[in-house]
Amino acid sequence: MTHDADMLMAQVRERDADAFESLYDMHHRLVYGVALRMLAESSAAEDVTQTVFLKVWNSPELYRGGNFAAWIVRVTRNRALDVLRGRAARNEIELPEGLPEGEAMEETAFARIDAERVRNALAALPAEQREPIELGFFGGITHAEIARRSGTPLGTVKTRIRSGLRKLRTALDETVTA
Amino acid sequence: MNERSDPHDMLDDVAVYALGALSPGDVRRVRAHIASCTLCAEEYASLRPAATAIGLSAETIGDARACPSTLLKPRIMAMVRSGKTHPARAVTLLPRRSAAARGTIWPAYLVAAACIAIAIVSSMWNVALTGQLKQTQQELARATQRSSSLADTLTDERSTLSDLLGADAKHYVQGNADVVTRGSRAYIAMHDLAEPPRGKVYQAWTLPKGSKKMVPSLTFEPDAHGDAVIALPSDARATAVIAVSLEPEGGSKQPTTKPILVVPLT
Repeated sequence: MTHDADMLMAQVRERDADAFESLYDMHHRLVYGVALRMLAESSAAEDVTQTVFLKVWNSPELYRGGNFAAWIVRVTRNRALDVLRGRAARNEIELPEGLPEGEAMEETAFARIDAERVRNALAALPAEQREPIELGFFGGITHAEIARRSGTPLGTVKTRIRSGLRKLRTALDETVTA
Repeated sequence: MNERSDPHDMLDDVAVYALGALSPGDVRRVRAHIASCTLCAEEYASLRPAATAIGLSAETIGDARACPSTLLKPRIMAMVRSGKTHPARAVTLLPRRSAAARGTIWPAYLVAAACIAIAIVSSMWNVALTGQLKQTQQELARATQRSSSLADTLTDERSTLSDLLGADAKHYVQGNADVVTRGSRAYIAMHDLAEPPRGKVYQAWTLPKGSKKMVPSLTFEPDAHGDAVIALPSDARATAVIAVSLEPEGGSKQPTTKPILVVPLT
């Protein structure tokens, strides 16, 4: 799929609207799913989905190859964080900076992993590790806020996040090589 | 968070950074540390793909409730194909009331702002050239009046679009069609719709509650990409069924072909 996406993105750079439409068909559920999970509101999730895909069309050079799905997840998360920050600003709650976009990352290892496998790998984590990880990723809140909400010491939250991510990495590696 | 001598503490921070759950101040510190610490850089490179993969778990497949509206794709593709995709020039697909009523709308605030900006620039130009301030002021007043009138009209169109995308709108998804109702208003959005044969058009029908006779509604055609979005004039609250059939150009008084879409409203 990454190979397909790379080819389509090359065509998008040539302003090929049909290639863009194919990219939309392949990835709109992922983009909308991430946005909906973070914002819990369909209209806001659709706004983010539109913003993300128009960004793909307007600035295709921001994608520098690798794992397109991972890249578009980061772009989506950052846009959804913008919305969450807007909401939080009204409530005067500090929220974290989003993941930097466009960083050259070696993420192709998981390019062919589907949603179900990731869900299974996440579900296999102990709740004490899975919950802060999902809160941190989809909730758009800092580890300090996670600690405050859960009544868990800050150091413990960080350690659980790291342990959980390492297990997740291992589980996904096994899935890829299986 | 202060930088510590214990590398294990920093590794925990690196993991939280990879997850994207650090505060901005901590992000800067950890990022600077990673740039100078091989151990932490390797940890980051190892955990970052796993963190990003978490997002993949949110992909929605086979769950219609967790999919975006079928109106979203036509809207985005209309913007892409028209070349009007930048926020400052954004346009939105106009829900079509008929084949003749197809078009696009500009957000009302944008139109008003653009018209006013043009009027102001026009005013300044006139002043510089002729010094006829009074005439310029009159032109500005007229332009502002025109933009206000246009903005009012487009505000109505925008509210229609708001209906389509509203969280409280009811969607009846059937095949390649999405019938949307919100309050008294009803819309039909279809995609992958074949071009009607020569001399034919698609026609919408409504069946009023308590009636057995279909009422003819608007005729329409899909655009070049097979998309069609129309706003029905009938009151959705008083409508039991919405249907679409292929009819001769100009429409029919009663369906003459088997409907391609029949959607009961609940």
